[in-house]
Amino acid sequence: MKISALIFLLLVFAAFSYFMARQKITTAYRQHKQKTKILTLPKYFGYVAALCSLLPALIVLFFLEAVEEPYITSEISTYITANEINASEDLDLYLNDIKGADTPEKIAALSDEKQVVYQRYHEIETVANRTITAIVLSISILLVIWGLRKINTDTPARKVFEKIIEGILLLAASIAIMTTVGIVFSVLFESTRFFGEVPIMSFMFGTEWSPQTAIRADQVGSSAAFGAVPLFVGTMLISFIALLVSVPFGLMSAIYLSEYASSTVRSVTKPILEILAGIPTVVYGFFAALTVAPFIRELGESMGMSVASESALAAGLVMGIMIIPFVSSLSDDVLSAVPQSLREGSLGLGATRSETIVKVLIPAALPGIVGGVLLAASRAIGETMIVVMAAGLAANLTVNPLEAVTTVTVQIVTLLTGDQEFDSAKTLAAFALGLMLFVTTLILNVIALHVVRKYREQYE
Amino acid sequence: MNESVLNELAEPVSRVISKPETEDSLNIEYTATVGQPLCDDAKFSTKNVDVYYADNQAIHDVTLDIGANEVIALIGPSGCGKSTYLRTLNRMNDTIDICRVEGQILLDGKDIYRKKQDPVLLRARVGMVFQKPNPFPKSIYDNVAYGPKIHGLTRNKSELDDLVEEALIKAGLFQEVKDRLHAPGTGLSGGQQQRLCIARTIAVQPEVILMDEPASALDPIATAKIEELINELKENFTIVIVTHSMQQAARVSQRTAYFHMGRLIEVGETDQIFTNPAHDLTEKYITGRFG
Repeated sequence: MKISALIFLLLVFAAFSYFMARQKITTAYRQHKQKTKILTLPKYFGYVAALCSLLPALIVLFFLEAVEEPYITSEISTYITANEINASEDLDLYLNDIKGADTPEKIAALSDEKQVVYQRYHEIETVANRTITAIVLSISILLVIWGLRKINTDTPARKVFEKIIEGILLLAASIAIMTTVGIVFSVLFESTRFFGEVPIMSFMFGTEWSPQTAIRADQVGSSAAFGAVPLFVGTMLISFIALLVSVPFGLMSAIYLSEYASSTVRSVTKPILEILAGIPTVVYGFFAALTVAPFIRELGESMGMSVASESALAAGLVMGIMIIPFVSSLSDDVLSAVPQSLREGSLGLGATRSETIVKVLIPAALPGIVGGVLLAASRAIGETMIVVMAAGLAANLTVNPLEAVTTVTVQIVTLLTGDQEFDSAKTLAAFALGLMLFVTTLILNVIALHVVRKYREQYE
Repeated sequence: MNESVLNELAEPVSRVISKPETEDSLNIEYTATVGQPLCDDAKFSTKNVDVYYADNQAIHDVTLDIGANEVIALIGPSGCGKSTYLRTLNRMNDTIDICRVEGQILLDGKDIYRKKQDPVLLRARVGMVFQKPNPFPKSIYDNVAYGPKIHGLTRNKSELDDLVEEALIKAGLFQEVKDRLHAPGTGLSGGQQQRLCIARTIAVQPEVILMDEPASALDPIATAKIEELINELKENFTIVIVTHSMQQAARVSQRTAYFHMGRLIEVGETDQIFTNPAHDLTEKYITGRFG
């Protein structure tokens, strides 16, 4: 039976279990006529009975599904060896051919010898599948029967239900955590492989970045250099320009929205500002590459400066526009969170609105604003698309915003796009870059969280 | 312990608890204000003041003079408009978009709602102390120095130091904080915070101080200190105090005005209001039959 059909059946059993248990308890209540006491609602007994049958069956199902594939593979390998079939190709590729034959045409296309193996494979798979179906269904049915027999008005259904809910919530929370841990470990693992080939010091402090390695010994231009400094300098330069744009404009629009705008203006302006955050970064990329970069170049040339057609300035400016909503929205929230009593206190002393904002509100909201800025900074550091399109790929070590630079994320993209085998220093470098970037943004986020937490303590 | 419980403890009101009366059973007849709303030496002179929140009228036709260097208490049940009235006196209601003030409010004979009036300058002359202590999250020193700095009242640091010290002394806080002027003002106790707010207001050297239930969030000892302070401050300032505590009104004020449902019912000498109220509603309120 297909796994989707099986799960559907389990859900049907659970639903049945729910209604039966509820019915049983309702009837029991009616007989006891315990009208005066506060009773656990019958639906909780239903939930408990349903989850009792569903959860163990699901867990067993997923476990069996997980071990099914390796089991079949090992069985079929044994079969191939035992019958001395010549699997001249790589065994994995051989098995892939067989497993991939899921339509009659594909089966017909297999060689005669493979047809035989396929028959065997099909038998094993069918048996395994039936076994799983039988085990899971019987567990589910047994649990439904057991649950319905066991459940009675003395079952602490509310308590059990709360426990189950707690478990489900914990599971949901742990999925995000597990994913993070998984990503960190995979990046860490690949990075150690990279650092096995390139010394960590020359990676972190090298000033030249040219990751092209020779595939054959006689190729030219094969001296690969993996110095990450130009990339990080480029990242910092563009992020700095972006923050230079977004912090003043974001903060000022936040002040306008939270302190000056009437509620009508605010209800119109705020959503429009937040649309900025919803524009895909690729679209910003067009804008940067086709409008802003040429404009900057023409402007620069008219003033007698040489400007690269792809410049850090263009990418940084557009990225700054992109992250304005991050700064403004978060700053708006923290400014609005400053108690009204502080505003009145300041106004009551004869301060103007702008004096109140500069001398009371901003200092009071500063930790929150800093938190918002740091979050925006993490966003700027991780941004890729705009830089690819507007700042170029040349790893120049420069702090001149009019030259083309590249960033860590852009290099990761260029290292990994296309057909790549993950065993050369070139592709592994992407993981090392990823790791360093991850650590950088992690540190920024930790600082941001710390600052935000400190802010929270101030008014509570 | 929440605020209301504290307030109960702070003010053991010996209420004559008879049958509680509802608004309807009182059979209110609105007449003109009873008593003497006018006085010879008026600092503030308000005439036929109406205040609206959008279409809701919160204050109806209030005419009241506030004499120079007197302490006048505004009393009345919750929602009677006494705080709204107080906030019209320094145009604090301007910060509320939907609030509209009609009628005439004169400070030293000049209309404070006239076009040319700068509300900022008005608020420097008419200071305000709020119900909940609201020190800025700055140091004690900076809290007091805030007003003088924005108005440029001092020429140099030592003058500012003197001004801060003087304000803290007048607010009766200096002895307690002189060793920690640069500690955060929010770290003080509730009563100290409120005296810090009073010091902050005094430092701007206003002519009038408006107090909106300044002791309602404080314990009895802190309340006593605030009341003592008000008695000292009346030498130099005109004080308008809104209070829920009739004992407090009786202890600190010379005149008392009784508000009810947005109308000024009765105003007169405090002694007379509490011993021999002229209006039926006033009598019912001060004897604790509603409110």
